[in-house]
Amino acid sequence: MPKTLYWLHCGGCGGDSMSLLNAESPDILELLEMLDIQILNHPSLSNDTSREHKELIGAILEGERPLDFLCVEGSIIRGPGGTGMYDTLDGKPRKDLVARMVQKARWVLAVGTCAGFGGIGSDGEVEATGLQFHKRERGGFLGEAFSSGSGLPVINLAGCPCHGNVVASTLTALASGSPLPLNEYQMPLDWYGMLVHQGCTRNEYHEYQIEEHNFGEKGCLFFHLGCQGPLAYGPCNKVLWNRRSSKTRVGVPCFGCTRPDFPQPHPFFATRNIEGIPLELPDGVDRAHYLAYKGMAAAAAPERLKKRKTWL
Amino acid sequence: MNERKIVNVPVNRVEGDLQVRVETEDGVVREAWSSGTMYRGFERILAGRGALDGLVITPRVCGICSTAHLMAAAAALDGICGARPPADAVRARNLCLMTEQIQSDLRHTFLMFTADFCNAAYRSSSLYGEALERYEPFKGSAVRETVEETKKVLEILGILGGQWPHSSYMVPGGITGTPRTADLLQCMTTLTHFRRWYENRVLGCSLERWAEVASLGDLENWLEERESHGERELGFFVRFARDIGLDRTGVAHDRFLCYGSLPLPEGTAVSPLGPAFPDGSRSLVPAGFSRGAGVEPFDEAKIAEHVAYSWFEDYEGGLHPSRGETLPYACGQEGGKYSWAKAPRYDGLPAETGPLAEWVVAGIPLFVDLVAKGGATVFARQLARLARPAVWIPAMETWLREITGEGTFYEPAKGDLEGNGAGLVHGARGALGHWVGIRNGKIEHYQIVTPTTWNASPRDGNDVRGPWEEALVGVEAGDADNPVRLGHVIRSFDACMVCTVHTVRGRLAQRFSPGGGT
Repeated sequence: MPKTLYWLHCGGCGGDSMSLLNAESPDILELLEMLDIQILNHPSLSNDTSREHKELIGAILEGERPLDFLCVEGSIIRGPGGTGMYDTLDGKPRKDLVARMVQKARWVLAVGTCAGFGGIGSDGEVEATGLQFHKRERGGFLGEAFSSGSGLPVINLAGCPCHGNVVASTLTALASGSPLPLNEYQMPLDWYGMLVHQGCTRNEYHEYQIEEHNFGEKGCLFFHLGCQGPLAYGPCNKVLWNRRSSKTRVGVPCFGCTRPDFPQPHPFFATRNIEGIPLELPDGVDRAHYLAYKGMAAAAAPERLKKRKTWL
Repeated sequence: MNERKIVNVPVNRVEGDLQVRVETEDGVVREAWSSGTMYRGFERILAGRGALDGLVITPRVCGICSTAHLMAAAAALDGICGARPPADAVRARNLCLMTEQIQSDLRHTFLMFTADFCNAAYRSSSLYGEALERYEPFKGSAVRETVEETKKVLEILGILGGQWPHSSYMVPGGITGTPRTADLLQCMTTLTHFRRWYENRVLGCSLERWAEVASLGDLENWLEERESHGERELGFFVRFARDIGLDRTGVAHDRFLCYGSLPLPEGTAVSPLGPAFPDGSRSLVPAGFSRGAGVEPFDEAKIAEHVAYSWFEDYEGGLHPSRGETLPYACGQEGGKYSWAKAPRYDGLPAETGPLAEWVVAGIPLFVDLVAKGGATVFARQLARLARPAVWIPAMETWLREITGEGTFYEPAKGDLEGNGAGLVHGARGALGHWVGIRNGKIEHYQIVTPTTWNASPRDGNDVRGPWEEALVGVEAGDADNPVRLGHVIRSFDACMVCTVHTVRGRLAQRFSPGGGT
């Protein structure tokens, strides 16, 4: 008996689905076959008629069709004024369908930062929120107490978008009954237990305090260009994007899209600082030690790095 | 018999959410209303943010065309500060946009459009069994190959842009990365692999042979010439689409809008497909407006957005996107308003945009002939899309060879990031514009008009339907529970509803209810 999966698209851009189609080795279609997971419906890929789809939802809600995985992409839109009428399906707020579907699911996956934490629109009048968090605050749409049929809370697969391999491997772990340790934000530690900084190819520049002010250079982007690599937990430099690279490797600062408060209100591409030292220091680092270390690091920098002589 | 019915159709596989209402008479559509049913509020999110923040936020308007938004955002900022990206940066940006479009055109065709060829309504077609084998969601041979090959070609965007979707490597003045020869060679082999698959499995012939197909007559001869032509994906698509009459349905106003796309860098061997802009600059795809026969020069000042049937407070006529605040006005069906999308008009007229519009404006003979003989049908639109990689690949190969790997990819502007600018580009779905105003280092206003806004447009102040509303009139609706032909028409525009419903401004206090239940 296959496991079933229903993919619900809420207040989002569809980027997590596009990213999922890029999942690697095996590709997502082969993986689903291997895991014996049947997609009951995906809004960009399925071709049920609208009547068949309605009947499917009815069968799930009546308990006639078991639902193993409910994957939610995009935020829960509650506006205007809590009515949810900014995101409707057949004239009714989609959030109402979400509230009923989660009650039937064995596992609920929030795919992407919007579904997990609100993401884009969480500060605006669309009143976007995540399934079980609103930014860093527990609760979100379903409330802190919610747990799915398996007893797990909502599993948050953060990222804007979420990396396709993260979704693939989370489905693999759950389908095979393997452990899935979660952090305090209910994100799997296998993919969110490391900083984006850990694996960035510019890390030697970072080590020796060789920091860029302008675009198009080779050095570190943390001090001046707003890189959140040392602050954001995510797999970007552990499992690369599109089998090849990551933003920081090509000189784009990490925007912290796995952080629950993404997007932050302060300008991107700029580092808020106190007398030239970043305001936000890496997790657990104290300012006095950091200042001393950075001063000595800069003094120790070799010529080859000061001259940006790397083929990266 | 004169039986009139209202059919409400939720439409999926349109990258977001769409509700279409049609009035039928004896099963044929007489009137159509198209509603975007979700709001996301992007312009509001951007107001007050840092000057560069559009580069990060606007790609999140859309998961399948984020590069197009990035390109428009960067182009607007280039204009504001007077940046002139170096020639190799122009090539790199173009390569990224074209790679995204290739991915999108194939994923749209074989994951979203042809899924409808498996509909039970077509059981009686002799090609039906084969359609199921090729196109069944998650299982069909074309579906699986498309996932595999689009995933691979996107590695070019990984190499040049760090990640896809959603990166921000285009900045005012160029790109952030500095690809070297090894990177460019890897892009080239990735592209060559894609070319071989496309020639073998999609066209069934070489790109050069396909380029010789310059008319409907040539297409017939090409189909007959070799078994592979008819049997591979493009040929089978042509045969099935015509078998179910998609070459005789879905014509809108036959007016086509193209903003121009893919600026030509200095010294390139790539030839433009059309005439230069008024300032002498050239792009691979020219800007223009066509009323069916002939092409007029494009004038950005002729764009205006109407709100007569949109949920915004009324104003007379239309307003240029760079002007004016508008206030959402959720009033249910009062005054006939029915959509969150505004109604863009060019010179007062609705116009469709997308790959077919590009080819008509560029004068590509096959598509000029198709439109001349039968109008912009469902078949013409989707064939234009499926055949686009054939036009892009040679230009991409030339540009990859031309990038030196020693050159510069970034040249900072001399001017400040202060003032107004517009980035007009062509995404996978057509004409995309970002109109940006920056004051004191912050975004003062940010207006986005997407290609689907043009195509999905509701009526305007003159009660003239938008393009796909018009295209639906005269279509057989079929079974109200399975109006598959309506789906073909809408999907031939390659709808991207997440792009269309990004808009909201001002405060919104009232409940509304979009057109009826089911």
